[in-house]
Amino acid sequence: MRFFRQLLSRVLQALALVLAVVVLNFILVHAAPGDPVETIAGVSGGMSPELMAQLRLQYGLDKPLYVQLAVYMGKVLSGDLGYSYFFNLPVASLIGERVPATLLLVLGAVLSAFVMGTTLGVLSARKPNGVLSQFITVLSMVGFAAPVFWMGIMLVILFASVFPILPVAGMRSIDSSGGGIADVLDVLHHLVLPTFTLGLVYLAQYSRLSRAAMLDVLGADFIRTARAKGLADRVVLYKHALRNALLPVVTVLGLQFGNVMAGAILVETVFNWPGLGRLAFESVLRRDYPTILGVLLFASIVVVVMNQVTDMVYRLIDPRINAQ
Amino acid sequence: MPQALTQSPKSSRLRTAMLVGLACLASAHAFAQDIKRGGTLVLGSTQVARHLNGAVQSGAATALPSTQLFASPLRFDDKWNAQPYLAEKWSLAADGKSLTLNLRKGAVFHDGKPITSEDVAFSIMTIKANHPFSSMMGPVEKVETPDPLTAIIRMNVPHPAIVLAMSPALCPILPKHIYGDGQDVKNHPRNSVDVVGSGPFRLVEFKAGQRTVLERFDKFFLPGKPYLDKLILSINPDAASLMLGLERGDIHIVPFTSAPADLKRLAANPKLVISPKGYEGIGAINWLAFNLTRKPLSDLAVRKAIATAIDKNFISKALQGGYSPVADSPIHSSSPFHVTDTVRYPFDVKKAAAMLDAAGYKAGPNGERFKLTIDFYPGPDDQQKNPAEYIRTALKKVGITVEVRTSADFPSWAKKMATRDFDMSMDANFNWGDPIIGVHRTYLSTNIRPIVWTNTQSYNNPKVDVLLNSAGSVMDPTQRKAYYAAFQKIVTDELPVYFIDQVGYHTISQKKVGNVPSTIWGTASPFDEVYLK
Amino acid sequence: MTQIANAAAKVEHPTVEALRMFVRNPAANAGMVILLLVILVSIVGPLIYGADPFEIRAAPLTAPFTEEAWLGTDYLGRDVLTTLIYGGRATLLVGAVAALLSVSIGITLGAMAGYYGGRVDAILMRVTEFFQVLPALLFAMVVVSLFGAKLTIVTLAIGLVSWTGTARLTRAEFMKYRDLEFVRAERAIGAGNARIIWRVILPNALPPLIVSGTLAIGAAILFEAGLSFLGLGDPNQMSWGLMIGSSRQYVLSCWWAVAFPGAAIFVTVLAVSLIGDGLNDALNPKLRER
Repeated sequence: MRFFRQLLSRVLQALALVLAVVVLNFILVHAAPGDPVETIAGVSGGMSPELMAQLRLQYGLDKPLYVQLAVYMGKVLSGDLGYSYFFNLPVASLIGERVPATLLLVLGAVLSAFVMGTTLGVLSARKPNGVLSQFITVLSMVGFAAPVFWMGIMLVILFASVFPILPVAGMRSIDSSGGGIADVLDVLHHLVLPTFTLGLVYLAQYSRLSRAAMLDVLGADFIRTARAKGLADRVVLYKHALRNALLPVVTVLGLQFGNVMAGAILVETVFNWPGLGRLAFESVLRRDYPTILGVLLFASIVVVVMNQVTDMVYRLIDPRINAQ
Repeated sequence: MPQALTQSPKSSRLRTAMLVGLACLASAHAFAQDIKRGGTLVLGSTQVARHLNGAVQSGAATALPSTQLFASPLRFDDKWNAQPYLAEKWSLAADGKSLTLNLRKGAVFHDGKPITSEDVAFSIMTIKANHPFSSMMGPVEKVETPDPLTAIIRMNVPHPAIVLAMSPALCPILPKHIYGDGQDVKNHPRNSVDVVGSGPFRLVEFKAGQRTVLERFDKFFLPGKPYLDKLILSINPDAASLMLGLERGDIHIVPFTSAPADLKRLAANPKLVISPKGYEGIGAINWLAFNLTRKPLSDLAVRKAIATAIDKNFISKALQGGYSPVADSPIHSSSPFHVTDTVRYPFDVKKAAAMLDAAGYKAGPNGERFKLTIDFYPGPDDQQKNPAEYIRTALKKVGITVEVRTSADFPSWAKKMATRDFDMSMDANFNWGDPIIGVHRTYLSTNIRPIVWTNTQSYNNPKVDVLLNSAGSVMDPTQRKAYYAAFQKIVTDELPVYFIDQVGYHTISQKKVGNVPSTIWGTASPFDEVYLK
Repeated sequence: MTQIANAAAKVEHPTVEALRMFVRNPAANAGMVILLLVILVSIVGPLIYGADPFEIRAAPLTAPFTEEAWLGTDYLGRDVLTTLIYGGRATLLVGAVAALLSVSIGITLGAMAGYYGGRVDAILMRVTEFFQVLPALLFAMVVVSLFGAKLTIVTLAIGLVSWTGTARLTRAEFMKYRDLEFVRAERAIGAGNARIIWRVILPNALPPLIVSGTLAIGAAILFEAGLSFLGLGDPNQMSWGLMIGSSRQYVLSCWWAVAFPGAAIFVTVLAVSLIGDGLNDALNPKLRER
């Protein structure tokens, strides 16, 4: 019973947070100079004032801000994300089209970084001053210090001109049609570079974190106790230490989903990856309010959910908290 | 025909005629044989189309797909001559107040229903009510349809631009049975989904912001055409990627390329062809706009001095690689109304400084006379941003300190222009064929409005108003040219804007693309004759 | 009285020891040297070199390692070497000030949340979560388009979205310290809350915060580079990110205009994080035991 009440309060808190973010973003984007009708006039190469007034009326832009906000919140709470001013297509379908691309990119980057990073970190913890450990130090430096878009552009140059074995733009070949295995392979082929670029940052972090955590834990009392009990070295390492070592990585992973959007925007821009990050950025440039707000709403929900999930996983993994 | 042949005896004349006739037939047959049917053509562009209906949306981005999906009454060749398209005959009344279109027999929409004069009437009135360029169909009062294949457009005043307004990019013919259902055509769901059109290609897929896939319409009214099986319009906001795609062979044709670095690099590629043809209709000019309501720009002497301090040749040759010819007129040089007798301002830094001194703007102790800001249209860097940065350096040499203001995006810049929140601004103007459509709007005092690409300079000269209105209401091209000549002289003398150069748009295509569209509208016209070698 | 003196003495000793450890760390030394070099070049370079980074010096797209331009010119003909020398100023300035701003906000809010606990903590945690959920890049974008792309606005925008990590860290530290013996002792003798926060706990909690601060500088530099790359930087101030952003579409014709400024950012951020790492090692009590 207490669990459900806790869950409910968490959900309500999360909801309130998301709504607050949406309200703030609504005010912000409407405050930016220019409006969607001016964008449309722009791509039209000019527009008559009568037509502009007509469009403004249609989009409700002539009403005061608080009225527009109320109308929008009402729609959102009933599940209607509205229509894009720019495309006249439902925001939900625009987002739906792009979510798989971003999900693929982000999950691919984070998961591969997680697996590789923790493996490297754990392995190197055995010899803290060994070659592998030093390699990790260098790698993490590079991963953190190199601007992700610069990395991406350098890779584009490398694979565009020098070794043209990987595609450097888009998620599929331009003339792709149909699905099946060929399509899956095509997407995977295009996925390599963007995932690597985005993943490098996280790979660096995770290997560092897991190594540090492993080192920490290896010196801890209960590990010494386990060793004294006579268990084989390897079992000690992997069974008892690993669990504790994963904690900080998991925490960081969950909390990082907020930063993931920023990295995704940059990587998607460099590689013309048709994801949410690009959609959000381009929509801000176009003052396409419904789309911007829709994407932000979606992103906020994801971040909030990830926060809660991380919290719960953390509690599950950390034996000390469970003991309380 | 060589003279000798006309003097030979009758029988050999006949034989010669037959031989010549056979030769012509043979070469036509051979030519037809050269054109292979089939294949998929990929066109790359940085512009994002909002939807596919060019009747309610202007601009090159929409024109690319719209001209494939929808046919128009007429089309144009590369010499500004109208050619038959959906209308096989047309006649403009002598008083310029009516245009009669005779449609082809047997033309059908993509869903098989016949294209009739009702659809033409509906489309034209829809364009009049919804198209952003209100001057295009402004004078149209109604369209009469005496029979299913005849449409008569009636105007209340002579409208010389009406024939040009029948172009594919400006007058797509929509099916009335789809779009005439009472919904607002601007937001009609069928603008991007299940589009039923009248043109050579039909819609397969429209992915907003990513790509449009089109395939041949088998029952297109021009038999045998289009030659291509499929046409893919791929969007990539990164121009460098498009160039890469060209080099790799993934992309076959990229229009609207102006970056000198790309043009230079790709000119050396033996597999590619670069052509400046196809942009005469659009007529794009880069200019430096002045806000005439602000001091000291309200002083003509200051504007003339600024013009004299700017080296247009440097901008054209060094900054734009020689690909953008210098402009000295509000009307594009490819237009029949362009004249070269305009006021020029040869580059002369000393003279510019002297002009400013004479006008009473002496330099202060640190060499500065006054400050100005310059904005720029946030398009491709090489056309507006780089000249703006160069202008800052150039004007520093005559004691004017210029601050370059960036706008984060288009709406921010458009707002500044609309609210007159600027001193100078680098901008591009499209003529759109007839000056009535794209030129008048900048100089008419009646068009001083809070919207971008109107008379945002607040220029007011009653003489110019009269000239433009006269040129817009007479039919005789010679008379119109005379009015426009006087107009060009005055405007280059009074400098509401200073014309820098004509945007050097080029189409880059693979050698294997045949019949690359190069009429005055270029790629903003149907690809029915394009083929892959 | 004596207890305060003891507390002060406790803070002094580890600092000296930390400094010693730091100086012995080769990586940290390397970082310091590099950073000092970068700062030196950025401050002194423009004074000696005397050129205008915006000036068009040679033909556009000259290759690097040539006579006219040692590191080549960009698409406009601007000298890349000059932009490297001048670009450091704006980049470092934004990095330092934005980091200072974010750390200040973070420490203040985190300290109050961790120390007072209860209601205050709950409210401040909501605020922190709110800013954490706010997509930083988009927020910065809108702020810049709202108020103009000036260096001050960019710095403000970066500082305003980057403080949540520091806040969480500070809160955790303060929660650890607030119930310790010597702190309770302070309260017993009647020291005010403000004094306890700023004069007693904070000096002890400083080590991880310093590390976080140096990392914040690196992050701020990267953030500014990202904004400039997307076209939202200050166009009147030459910065490395601006160079990358404006040369990006010409990268296939002049990779050097993107590679070198990027390398400059990389080296600078690397130096900063090496220093941060060194500080972490030096100030981390657990590692000291080894």
